[in-house]
Amino acid sequence: MTSISLEGVTWTPASSKLVTARIITVAIWMAPFVLAPTVFAIIFHPAWWWVSGGLLASAVWFAWLGYRSATAHAWCEREDDLLIKRGRIFRSITAVPYGRMQYVEVSSGPLARALGISSLQLHTAAASTSASLSGVPLAEADALRDRLSARGEARMAGL
Amino acid sequence: MENTQGAAEGGGHIFTAPREWTRVHPISPLLGGWAVIAAVGTFWIERNLGGDDDEFLDLIFGRIAVLVGLAVGIAVIVIAAGYVSWWFHSFRLTDEAIEQRKGLLFKQFKQARLDRVQAVDVVQPLVGRLVGLAKLKIEVAGGTGSGIDLQYLRLAEAEAFRNELLARAGGAKLDRGAGADSGEGATDNPAAQQSHAPGIGGLQLAPSPGTARTWVAAAVERLLVAVPIKRTILSVLLSAGTIILAFIVVAGVTASIVASVLAAELDLIGIVFGGGAVGGAIAIFGWLAAALGQLNRGLNFKLGIAADGVRIAHGLLETTKQTIPPGRVQAVQFTQGLLWRKPDWWRVVINVAGYHEDPTKVSTLLPVGTRLEALTAMWSVLPDLGDPDPESMFSASLSGTGEDNGFINSPRSARWLDPWQWRRLGYKATDSALLIRSGWLGRVLIVVPHQRTQSLEISQGPLQRRLGLATVTVHSTPGPVKPVVRHLALADATALLEEQAARAAVWRRRQTTEQWLVAVGFDGESGDDVSK
Repeated sequence: MTSISLEGVTWTPASSKLVTARIITVAIWMAPFVLAPTVFAIIFHPAWWWVSGGLLASAVWFAWLGYRSATAHAWCEREDDLLIKRGRIFRSITAVPYGRMQYVEVSSGPLARALGISSLQLHTAAASTSASLSGVPLAEADALRDRLSARGEARMAGL
Repeated sequence: MENTQGAAEGGGHIFTAPREWTRVHPISPLLGGWAVIAAVGTFWIERNLGGDDDEFLDLIFGRIAVLVGLAVGIAVIVIAAGYVSWWFHSFRLTDEAIEQRKGLLFKQFKQARLDRVQAVDVVQPLVGRLVGLAKLKIEVAGGTGSGIDLQYLRLAEAEAFRNELLARAGGAKLDRGAGADSGEGATDNPAAQQSHAPGIGGLQLAPSPGTARTWVAAAVERLLVAVPIKRTILSVLLSAGTIILAFIVVAGVTASIVASVLAAELDLIGIVFGGGAVGGAIAIFGWLAAALGQLNRGLNFKLGIAADGVRIAHGLLETTKQTIPPGRVQAVQFTQGLLWRKPDWWRVVINVAGYHEDPTKVSTLLPVGTRLEALTAMWSVLPDLGDPDPESMFSASLSGTGEDNGFINSPRSARWLDPWQWRRLGYKATDSALLIRSGWLGRVLIVVPHQRTQSLEISQGPLQRRLGLATVTVHSTPGPVKPVVRHLALADATALLEEQAARAAVWRRRQTTEQWLVAVGFDGESGDDVSK
């Protein structure tokens, strides 16, 4: 079992709040699907317990997946490019050169803001959506965006 | 000189690109689809609002006047709406950009910067050819909808606009000279114009005889490849679609014959026979439509090269002339289907930023060509392959397998994931480009110049992790070419990622400007007069 890895890279991991955000998102999405059969089981027929149990088990499974992938997300600012690592089952490392970044976008939804994290979206001419950082602490996000933009302008090389 | 003589004879107009807000040609709204809309609208209204539909023929003949009136009414409304939007649609060319204004209620203002121009196409649909009008499409590096479409201009005006636009985008300094600021489509002072007509860095730019005189002459074009009609037709026949069609037809005929022979009394036969015939007819019509569409687009294909870029002309009923300036081609792909192996034909498609629509329609550099023509086509977009012997290296890359020519190949463990292609999967990095090979029955070769690498990605699924493999993707602009090297050994993949990132960084530093004429010193300002 040999996994992809690069030499001499110090990874900055995503904030641990990202794990919290993922678990809360799973909980919000799965709550109605788990509560409805539970209510049916209490009111109508005990066989519904199987359904609600199964859905609860899948909710736990999704939360586990969310935890694993959030802890696997990291990045590293190198000399000429930015490395982004993601995924556990399907792993990938993306290298985005500063000179090709068209613009950098910082955004955070209400849950992320409440937890104090945000996400950065990098746009190149290739329009690849995997060039995004999640779980960047709010205090760092603006500084990181400014650093990336400054390096991008310094090395800007057209399309 | 030929130009002034012609000017003295005919007192002809010199077509220039407009600097003030100008509208497109007044009969443009009439060339739209109003006839189709009128016909469809009439039919729809009649079906839904007309009385009883029992006596269909009676309906038609009895109400013919009403139908005609309805159709005319709808046509008039559509054309009137077209003229309203025509009134508010205007465009112009400034020193830095092409600007377009549209819309009555929702005003739109689009600006396409000249150094972001990726390609300029002059398209003449059939009706346009009959009346001498053309569409001008300017593709810009931006999202979908960032390009500018001007429908319709006089052909000479469209070409004048294109020539001037490309000359400025290349960085040529064009000076209008005395009394030339009218800005409208034609000026009446040909002698004064001609004496100030710009060349590009002193190069002679004589317009070809028979074309209208434009203020900036079209750069002289050298024809590289012309695809003969016979080969185009044959290539459409020798495609996978034809084979599938032949299979369906044979299967259908056999099934109906067998069924009718086996049990002549069963009613089922009627169903099977009828079904087979109908299915066959549908398949044939579908194939015919697709094949005719392909022929219509691809016939008379000519590839040429000029000072303002690669010129591609093709089309039978609707003709298209594309110009792709240097450095705008992001990736090139060569494919050869199994049926083309014997005549050794290759198809070349490219990624150009801005060509978002139908990739088969506009991104083809060469629809079908011999191996030498494919090499010529690639030379036109990537002159330096970074190898001391490009022809044999390229030729061997097209059809090689395994470790030939310094290709780094997939290891044996890849045969679990891709038992057919694994021998051919691999990459080779020359000084200026990355070559990626794949395909077993249908061979594929992708060339990505180092200077056009956007971002890189190395990825690995659970099975690949088990086998010690990884996949490297070179991100390129949206288009038909997707440069991916699959199932490399992990060490090779990591090495490719690091080395390609380093090579791309070196080449990025070499990229000076988007204006290609300035980059080679032909802009008329820097350097000497080259023509002497």
